[in-house]
Amino acid sequence: MNSVGEACTDMKREYDQCFSRWFAEKFLKGDCSGDPCTDLFKRYQQCVQKAIKEKEIPIEGLEFMGHGKEKPESSS
Amino acid sequence: MRVWSSEHVFGHPWDTVIKAAMRKYPNPMNPSVVGVDVLERSVDSRGRLHSHRLLSTEWGLPGLVRAILGTSRTLTYIREHSIVDPVGKKMELCSTNITLTNWVSVSERLVYTPHPEDPGRTVLTQEAVITVKGISLGSYLESLMANTISSNAKKVVSNS
Repeated sequence: MNSVGEACTDMKREYDQCFSRWFAEKFLKGDCSGDPCTDLFKRYQQCVQKAIKEKEIPIEGLEFMGHGKEKPESSS
Repeated sequence: MRVWSSEHVFGHPWDTVIKAAMRKYPNPMNPSVVGVDVLERSVDSRGRLHSHRLLSTEWGLPGLVRAILGTSRTLTYIREHSIVDPVGKKMELCSTNITLTNWVSVSERLVYTPHPEDPGRTVLTQEAVITVKGISLGSYLESLMANTISSNAKKVVSNS
């Protein structure tokens, strides 16, 4: 599956693989420690943000706070 | 306004279904989703995983419909928020379109929970609300979209 930004697809796939592994092997088993995907996500996000601006996709009310832990519950 | 809802039982435990659901796109049974990006992801203070995703979809509206609507755009963008609670075993997804909002609003909500009588199975409840605004062909277009969502859901079901 591609990214909305064509140039971001490879970074996206790398991040997706990292996330899927963490999700299945850690998160679903109750282990929230040590998210290994933060750096991959940061690189991928910079690319996606640029693509969203270029394509003028209307994303509102979303702060790009990245990949985090202990974030307050989203109200949306 | 058109409301569509359905319930389906998967013959697999919740963890298995959720892992597949997080990879739902790509899904060959739903070719209209052509792009997926994660915009934000975090774990809240209750240990639940929140994901905000941007989906690009190709509705494949017939040419005549596009001409009536006066749009040459074929790509629609959708924003999805999902919450996975690994302890309570509940995954909820809410999505809504963020383009073409002047003439249509499509909101979907999906909830995956273990079957109350059999932990080896999973229940998915799915509902969609479709509203077409301001044009006289509103009802026709709403049916068109409801049928698309319904047939996509049936393809997912028959493939599972």
